[in-house]
Amino acid sequence: MDRKHIQHLYWRIGFGIAPSPLALLAKKNKKQVVDALFKASETVEPLKIDTTELETLMAAPYEDMKDNMRDFLKLSKEKTKELNAAWIDRLATTNALLREKMTLFWANHFVCEDNNFIYTQKFHNTLRAHALGNFKDFVMAISKEAAMTKYLNTKQNKKQKPNENFARELMELFTLGVGHYTETDIKESARAFTGYGHDLKGDFVFRERQHDEGNKTFFGKTGNFDGDAIIGIILENPQCAHFICEKIYRYFVNDTLDEVRVNEMAQVFYADYDIEKLMRFVLLSDWFYEEQNRGSKIKSPIEFLVGIKTMVPVSFNNAKQELYLQKLLGQTLLDPPNVAGWKGGRSWIDSNTIVLRLKLPSLLLNKGYISKVKQGDIDAVAEASKAIFQKQYGKKFATTAHWETFNEHYKNVPIQDLKSYVLACDMHKPANAYLDGLEKTSKQDYCIQLMSLPEYQMC
Amino acid sequence: MYSTYVVTRISNVLIMDRRDFIKHSALASSLFFVPSFVKAFEQVASGTLGYKRLVIIQLSGGNDGLNTVIPFQNDLYYKARPVLGIQKNESIPLNNEVGLHPSLAPLKRLYDAGHLAIINNVGYPNPNRSHFRSMDIWQTATDANTYSQTGWIGRYLDHFGKQPYNAIEIDDSLSLAMKGETLNAIATQDAKAFYNLAREPFFKNITNRMGDAHLSDHNLGYLYKTMIEAQSSAKYIFETTKTVSSTKIYPNDAFANQLKTMAQFINAGLETKVFYGSLGGFDTHVNQLATQKRLLKTYAEGIEAFVQDLKANNTFKDTLILTFSEFGRRVNQNASIGTDHGTANNVFIIGNQLKKQGLYNNLSNLTDLDESGDIKFEIDFRTIYATVLNKWLEVNDAKVLDKTFNQLDFI
Repeated sequence: MDRKHIQHLYWRIGFGIAPSPLALLAKKNKKQVVDALFKASETVEPLKIDTTELETLMAAPYEDMKDNMRDFLKLSKEKTKELNAAWIDRLATTNALLREKMTLFWANHFVCEDNNFIYTQKFHNTLRAHALGNFKDFVMAISKEAAMTKYLNTKQNKKQKPNENFARELMELFTLGVGHYTETDIKESARAFTGYGHDLKGDFVFRERQHDEGNKTFFGKTGNFDGDAIIGIILENPQCAHFICEKIYRYFVNDTLDEVRVNEMAQVFYADYDIEKLMRFVLLSDWFYEEQNRGSKIKSPIEFLVGIKTMVPVSFNNAKQELYLQKLLGQTLLDPPNVAGWKGGRSWIDSNTIVLRLKLPSLLLNKGYISKVKQGDIDAVAEASKAIFQKQYGKKFATTAHWETFNEHYKNVPIQDLKSYVLACDMHKPANAYLDGLEKTSKQDYCIQLMSLPEYQMC
Repeated sequence: MYSTYVVTRISNVLIMDRRDFIKHSALASSLFFVPSFVKAFEQVASGTLGYKRLVIIQLSGGNDGLNTVIPFQNDLYYKARPVLGIQKNESIPLNNEVGLHPSLAPLKRLYDAGHLAIINNVGYPNPNRSHFRSMDIWQTATDANTYSQTGWIGRYLDHFGKQPYNAIEIDDSLSLAMKGETLNAIATQDAKAFYNLAREPFFKNITNRMGDAHLSDHNLGYLYKTMIEAQSSAKYIFETTKTVSSTKIYPNDAFANQLKTMAQFINAGLETKVFYGSLGGFDTHVNQLATQKRLLKTYAEGIEAFVQDLKANNTFKDTLILTFSEFGRRVNQNASIGTDHGTANNVFIIGNQLKKQGLYNNLSNLTDLDESGDIKFEIDFRTIYATVLNKWLEVNDAKVLDKTFNQLDFI
């Protein structure tokens, strides 16, 4: 398989690929490479933080639990931060790349958050379990998640007093898109989701007495529908397959939709809503690898951050710093803005984030230093500059960068070829000319220069 | 934990070595070669945006409005709050029925000068009692059942802004309120630090060589364009404000520092129409009295210093300060001598161009509460936004809010 195509594939279903594994894959054909990706993602490995302490607090008698509530919520918050760090670590180190990238995708589709960490973690792993599964099962599972019934008020949705929040977002954001249903459809389907609830552990409970057993008329059909039946009826509408495929196309292929391709995808998806089949279709197609799709997308903050780690493993001596960086970059995992999620694309980039993004690789990996030494000159200021950085900011900006991993992976790459491994798109001529005029003092310094370019923001 | 301030200060070190200094001097002489479009970005927005400014202060966590503006003649108030209720003799009376929290003496002085309007019972239909969601609703200005990925000031920028710095949030990162579809505001606590980060010579060398042809519709062109804008914004903010410093003494806390930075920016004549600041910690479920006392003191003392600073520089007349919180709190106190999340709340408007000063409308009489025991809203917060947009910033409010709302007459 063409190296450029493999790199493109790995940027989109992962966070980039190092030269040594790339060299191995280049010996295989496309089908083998893609098959191997699915094979590696076959098993579901949940991501779990220890919740024993929370469970003990929750298991206490109701009256105690009331008193413990503050401790519980505080601990939940801490655990959510732990899961955030563990998730990023998982993204940077996983073998099940495709499943993990899909999980990240779905987390910005079925958007949810909760202040009870046990429910947060459960929801999170439901995303992972269904990431490559059947979309219908997926929606049904999501509708019954404790965190979701809280987030979109299905819990408060009772026969006597329906709450339409979940029904509305189910159609607007999760399945059909705005404009493909009426207010009556929302009202009627909300009645079908009455009685949804959960027990203390977060397992789904159907409260029959709160469920509306009457007939509902929804999308022209009448019957005593429950929530699952409503989801079934929604998915009968080809618009649902189209809506999801548009989103997949934007995320994995290109910000700008190609209706012909999206229609092809939707046809495949509509047959049985099998997510794996859809992704196989996309990744095995020729058009996925076309030039206009390669290096055309702006990395999300997480793709950017994990991408750096994939190239040069870097750890934060204080986990809070990584969390804070996510905030500054505009995407904190497990803390979405609202149920509509992050807008993505160009909206990641503004005056603040672009400046930080260009500066960040040097800050994290090279003591803030970007070499600007002209060809033929000697870099006389590098060490002094780094030393000053270390003295002034070493404590506050404490990271450990494992350049030895980079050196190992990139040892067979001639320095002048480095850019074809670091950048997903061609360099603008002026930037290229400027960099060519600089002394390539070391692979490390050249790598930092490349990572400090706007081009490095692309994938 | 480091802040952006620290991140950006780092550039100082890297820029100030001698070699770079020399390089910079050399660069200065090549200014003639700066492509025309760079200059276009650097052009200061013309006066067409008007000269009035809006300052938004967000009290995060849900400030207890009922203990902020106190109905001291209402028996229901003391009945609902046997411990938390603030007695008449402790409050600062505004009239025979209503008093301010004892920490708000500075606000009383603004009230006496006719610089304060208090709008009561502000909220929205179908109130949400989650911090996240309710703040989201206030920041995006949507109905309670719709979700938006842009904020109301962001959309103001989309339609009427010219440069990112037309709106500035004094923080490390932007709130959703400040993010538009095509234009985002700038977040900064320190103009110099932001400038130092943006002017890293490596970045300048790349962007200086860019030609117009590269600013295409492609994403990469967009990145370059945004970087050039960021560099010129950072330069503009720093150079416009660096010579202005405040002679007023502010309280020594983070909130007052935000206000001091805002005053510096305003008094320097920065082309910024909207400033955004915030003060957090109002989520007083437990032992509310001490916490709220401290926070309101911080708020009021900061605001008073800010107003004095603006007055001394003759900029107060062009500044309107709007203070809100995502919700008020439950009328009944809870078992932990605190209050739980509620709904409608008061909004403060501060300025010297107020048409209606003092209490804009009556406080809730507390007899007609909703099913949770919360105050029912009387004034939709978006009518306040609409009024401010239309009458103060003088733009078409319906474009920003996607809907037409009634205009109020406080300005």
